[in-house]
Amino acid sequence: MAPKSELLQGTLDLLILKTLETGTMHGWGISLRIQAVSEDVLQVNQGSLYPALHRLEQQGLIASQWGASENNRQAKYYELTRLGRKQLAAETKNWERLAGAVARILAH
Amino acid sequence: MVHRLKTRLSSLFRRSRYERELASELEFHIDMLTEQYVRAGMAAAEARRAALRNFGPLERVKDDVRDTWLSRLWETLVQDVRYGFRNLRRSPGFAFVVVFTMALGIGANTAIFSVVNGVLLRPLPFKDGEQLVVLRQQQPAAGVEDMGFSYKEILDYRAAKSLDGLVEFHNMWFILLGRSEPERVSTGVVSANFFDVLGVKPLYGRTLQAADDAPGAPAVLLLSHGYWKKTFGGDPTVVGKVYQMNDRPHQVVGILPPVPQYPLEVDVYMPTSACPFRSSKSALENRTFRIVGTAFGRLKPGVTLDKCHADLSVVSSQLQLDHPQEYPKERGYRATASPLQAEMTREFRRTLLVLLGTAGFVLLIVCASVANLMLARMVRREREVAVRAALGASHTRLLRQLLTESTILAIAGGAIGLGLAHWGVDLLVAYAQQFTPRASEIHIDTSVLLYTLGISVVTGLVFGSVPAINGSLSVSPALRDSGRATHNRQTIRNWLIVVQVAASFMLLIGAGLTIRSLIKLQQVDPGFRTDNILTMRIDLNFTKYRNERTSEFWQRVEERMKGIPGVITAGGGGTFPLNDGGSPSGSILIKGRELPQSAGGSRVDFLFATPDYFAAIGQPLISGRNFNLGDNYGARQTRPVALINRSMARRYWGNEDPLGQQISGNGGNSWATIVGVVADTRQQLREPVRDEVYLPIFQRGFLSTNWLVRSRVDPAIMQREIRSAVHAIDPDQPVDNFRTLAEVRSASLASPTLVATLLGLFGLLALVITAAGIAGVIAFSVNQRTHEFGIRMALGAQRASVLSLVLRQGLALVLSGLAIGLAGALVLTRLLATLLFGIQPTDGFTFVAVSMVLIAVAAIACLIPARRAASVDPMVALRVG
Repeated sequence: MAPKSELLQGTLDLLILKTLETGTMHGWGISLRIQAVSEDVLQVNQGSLYPALHRLEQQGLIASQWGASENNRQAKYYELTRLGRKQLAAETKNWERLAGAVARILAH
Repeated sequence: MVHRLKTRLSSLFRRSRYERELASELEFHIDMLTEQYVRAGMAAAEARRAALRNFGPLERVKDDVRDTWLSRLWETLVQDVRYGFRNLRRSPGFAFVVVFTMALGIGANTAIFSVVNGVLLRPLPFKDGEQLVVLRQQQPAAGVEDMGFSYKEILDYRAAKSLDGLVEFHNMWFILLGRSEPERVSTGVVSANFFDVLGVKPLYGRTLQAADDAPGAPAVLLLSHGYWKKTFGGDPTVVGKVYQMNDRPHQVVGILPPVPQYPLEVDVYMPTSACPFRSSKSALENRTFRIVGTAFGRLKPGVTLDKCHADLSVVSSQLQLDHPQEYPKERGYRATASPLQAEMTREFRRTLLVLLGTAGFVLLIVCASVANLMLARMVRREREVAVRAALGASHTRLLRQLLTESTILAIAGGAIGLGLAHWGVDLLVAYAQQFTPRASEIHIDTSVLLYTLGISVVTGLVFGSVPAINGSLSVSPALRDSGRATHNRQTIRNWLIVVQVAASFMLLIGAGLTIRSLIKLQQVDPGFRTDNILTMRIDLNFTKYRNERTSEFWQRVEERMKGIPGVITAGGGGTFPLNDGGSPSGSILIKGRELPQSAGGSRVDFLFATPDYFAAIGQPLISGRNFNLGDNYGARQTRPVALINRSMARRYWGNEDPLGQQISGNGGNSWATIVGVVADTRQQLREPVRDEVYLPIFQRGFLSTNWLVRSRVDPAIMQREIRSAVHAIDPDQPVDNFRTLAEVRSASLASPTLVATLLGLFGLLALVITAAGIAGVIAFSVNQRTHEFGIRMALGAQRASVLSLVLRQGLALVLSGLAIGLAGALVLTRLLATLLFGIQPTDGFTFVAVSMVLIAVAAIACLIPARRAASVDPMVALRVG
């Protein structure tokens, strides 16, 4: 397994928002998705996923709803709000700028 | 935004549901993880264990989630409060001292703020009260600040473009008959639309209307709220009743709500048709018959005061063109408007702001003192705070907890202070009534409560932050070296003392200056005697008495009063010294002399007196003769006479004899002969002696006279006899406003007395708190240095040198505070200048005296712990270290 990278709180928030961009998902689904898309490099620490989700909800960036899951169990689904979409766009731009700068420094 | 608020708030209220949902949500995740492991081949039980392990400590995760909920904030707050209470219960002495001092500080501020709020801040209880103005006609170049208005002038100014209404007011009286005693009723005579322009709706019945002002209309009146409560017991059925006043029946048509009355409080209001003087031919036709005392105007919406002045000057310029004799150019005639609210509060404003400032100083001293106490307490709590930090309390949490404690103390102090303020406000309202009609609007209302809560919380945070920051820092790993934290603490405590001393010094200077000013005022020799003199007012029924009948009446009154057993003498005057209300003044001409006509050049005050007035008040005759019965109404045109005072005699005749000279007060229309010179008196204690001309009451048709009765015994008991004496002449004539001259004198000193008393009390409080603070800090420092003292003494130091060491430390603090306080006082006492009499704001004696008192008190405060330090047994001290 590739070494896991530690995720800062801010980046976790960004990843969650991005994951929800494509549709509603419950916490389990979000963690699977991040793992899958990052090709297993990022394994979300379960302990920090749920506080992050609740915090984002309190901030109004995502909204929750209880619904039936694939195996007919009750699960809490999260979706992106309009405010969340705006925040996602802003954070993405920020991140790309930061990553670009770091890349330029490393290239020298 | 709303949704966000809703989400945050719902976490507060639906806690149990949130818990359940959280449990299900996490359970779902763990189940899915378990399933994943089972699919990978693990056994069910083992898969579950692995899932739980992978997930992490469940409670920890739940706690982290809970931290994001708002309810967490509330929980920790409740926890902090409970913890704070427990802590304070363990040191009840400390809590009591803190709460008590906070109560005094906050109480003083609340009381004074209530007055400031009711008088200065709250808008007038009139509709759009900020649009109301008071108009004045002035001739500043001739020294005339308020000419009054005549009927014609009111009409002229009514046309001014900026005004949405101009109404008049003047004050007179009626005699109410038909009750057990005849009663004088002070009356406000006003335009018919007076209450409409002011925006006052009646409490019962109606206000005046245009029909009431028509000539021949039935006589109506409105009751003011205070008079209605006092005389009719607040009975609403009085509306519609008819009462005999003077010679006519008057019907009560309405009762007014409680509103501040300007320029003075009256009992009833009547339309202009009720006043025969105002309705007379002269008043209506003569432009210079200025019977209207006050004119109120309402500015049109959006009109500024400047625009109003511009419009008024359009009118006044036109008047000067049309009537050049009545408005001579060299007098600088103009008309001004000033906001009604400012006029009502002008006299009191400066005093109030000074009192508010000093109360603020007291609060500052109280805060510094309490911060000091809390810092001292931090020492004992260091271990407890360290334990809490070790158990995982964050820096902010520690800070929050300490601040909660101090805020609890402050709020408790504030609550008690509110109770103290209640009592203080009643006293202040009694004083305020003399200076502003808005005194009745002073209550402890919502704004005051919010203010009290506000300053309680703010002071709690302010004085709590000092020990809180210090305490939480002392357990920070960076400052683990406790010596450093202690040194820091000592420095802070020293600085707090310096602040207290500086603020106390400034307060005490203020107190010292105002107290000395009051003493100087009390020592002013007014030029007459104030003991055993009773004053009263007799206002005649103007429908019954005219011209010579008034003179006859006064002559009989003087005779009868002198005849009452126990009375030494009695006399009447238009007014008397120290009375509120002044005398008319004007320019005089001297026959055969050219006098400067400019401002103040030949202005004198005109006073009126009966022959025995001077004996009654104790104002000796210096030369010539007094008025006598020969100077009566019949002789008013053939042989008019006058007396002048010494100041005027000196000014115009130097050492020459002014007797026989002729003077005129009405521009040369008639001349009076000077028959005598009387001694100088001061009409007001604060004012210098002015030039005075006395005219005989018996030569005039005077309707209103103040009487002075000098008696052998306490004159207050003579009221009944005096009333009977007057009623023997006319049983329907009221005599009222009985006050001894001594009472009048105290009343004239009411304002400086209030300020000096309050500042003195505040100063004393500040001194006590600061002294206690100094003693506390020095005692503490001595405690810390016991080891050092022991070594010094073991090495041979004398007790005296240890004593002086401690004293020097204390005095160093005091002197620094004194220096800062001195600088501050020199700047700030300038603000007191208008309140002081006979003393400079930088009066050297006061500064020196206060400094010495402060140093002496501080020295005593240091001495107690210093002696303890000097009596330390070196062996014990060395062992303790």
